[in-house]
Amino acid sequence: MSTITRTLRNLWKVGVKDAWHQMQYIGDTKAGTLIGTDRFGNKYFEDTEELPLRTRWVDYKVHDYDAAQIEPGWHAWISYSVDKPPTQDSVLAYKRREWEDTDAKTIPNYTLTRGAYKPYNTTKAKVTAWEPVAAARK
Amino acid sequence: MLATSRRTAALALRAKPTTYIVPLQSVASISTTPKKDATSVTPHSSTGLAHRERKEVPLPSQVPKKGVMQYALTTLDQITNWARQSSLWPMTFGLACCAVEMMHLSTPRYDQDRLGIIFRASPRQSDVMIVAGTLTNKMAPALRQVYDQMPEPRWVVSMGSCANGGGYYHYSYSVVRGCDRIVPVDVYVPGCPPTSEALMYGIFQLQRKMRETRITRMWYRK
Repeated sequence: MSTITRTLRNLWKVGVKDAWHQMQYIGDTKAGTLIGTDRFGNKYFEDTEELPLRTRWVDYKVHDYDAAQIEPGWHAWISYSVDKPPTQDSVLAYKRREWEDTDAKTIPNYTLTRGAYKPYNTTKAKVTAWEPVAAARK
Repeated sequence: MLATSRRTAALALRAKPTTYIVPLQSVASISTTPKKDATSVTPHSSTGLAHRERKEVPLPSQVPKKGVMQYALTTLDQITNWARQSSLWPMTFGLACCAVEMMHLSTPRYDQDRLGIIFRASPRQSDVMIVAGTLTNKMAPALRQVYDQMPEPRWVVSMGSCANGGGYYHYSYSVVRGCDRIVPVDVYVPGCPPTSEALMYGIFQLQRKMRETRITRMWYRK
């Protein structure tokens, strides 16, 4: 719940352009310090003056955003599992494993794509349809 | 039948020579069951359905817009989809422990009301059915009846392993192996049980699916 004075105060702090962008995506004006950017280009902010559980937020890179686009280390930070962001904690920071692809996955969720799950059956059907097969003429 | 035998022959030719598994045979002889390689299993020829050629149809989200009319109708669709996705009334089909997580979604921490989601007890006033929990054979007709009572733009979220594919009770005599055998499912939420966050993420995916729906444009094309 935001008050009009708070909204205007944050608008004054971040500027009209950022405030418009925030209203489109977060639905609120928020002013904080930029903590870091992950390799997908999502920006992470923090403002400890906010109410608890509203102090950390993300500005997604893409328009059709998705919570799965947050990097794992940053996910731990934004979910308040850890205190230090991945920029300060080397354990949480992203390191490419040997088995990983070189390119970063920008589409982690396959809903609405060809890769979406479709139910299938691996057992033999109880009812079999007659498949007409004509014997070859000799 | 001809195609099947040919495939079997090809599989047999492709199978690895048995010299590879000679060192393992001393262990395998303990077993009384005859050794059967996975490659030697013949696939079922008939699945009960007539064989159909695979046809690649582009997804509605992959077809680009063309023409002034389609652009105009896109706006209409956006308004309809906005209305639909921002007041999602789920029919709660809570069957087991997943239902507890579904209840957590409505509590202040996750607060589904801010997304316009209000649980409705009546299927006639709801848009989406969240199947949460193990669907038994005895419950299946009731599930189908409730689904049939829902008005037409309707969606189904299958929540949890049991609803997705039987899960832990897959081999039980009394459990339906996935609620997609009874109703068409839009979004599968994995987990046992999925967290409330996971269910909320599934609902976001459903909203994304609604956003991609092209109601008037499909009507115009026809």
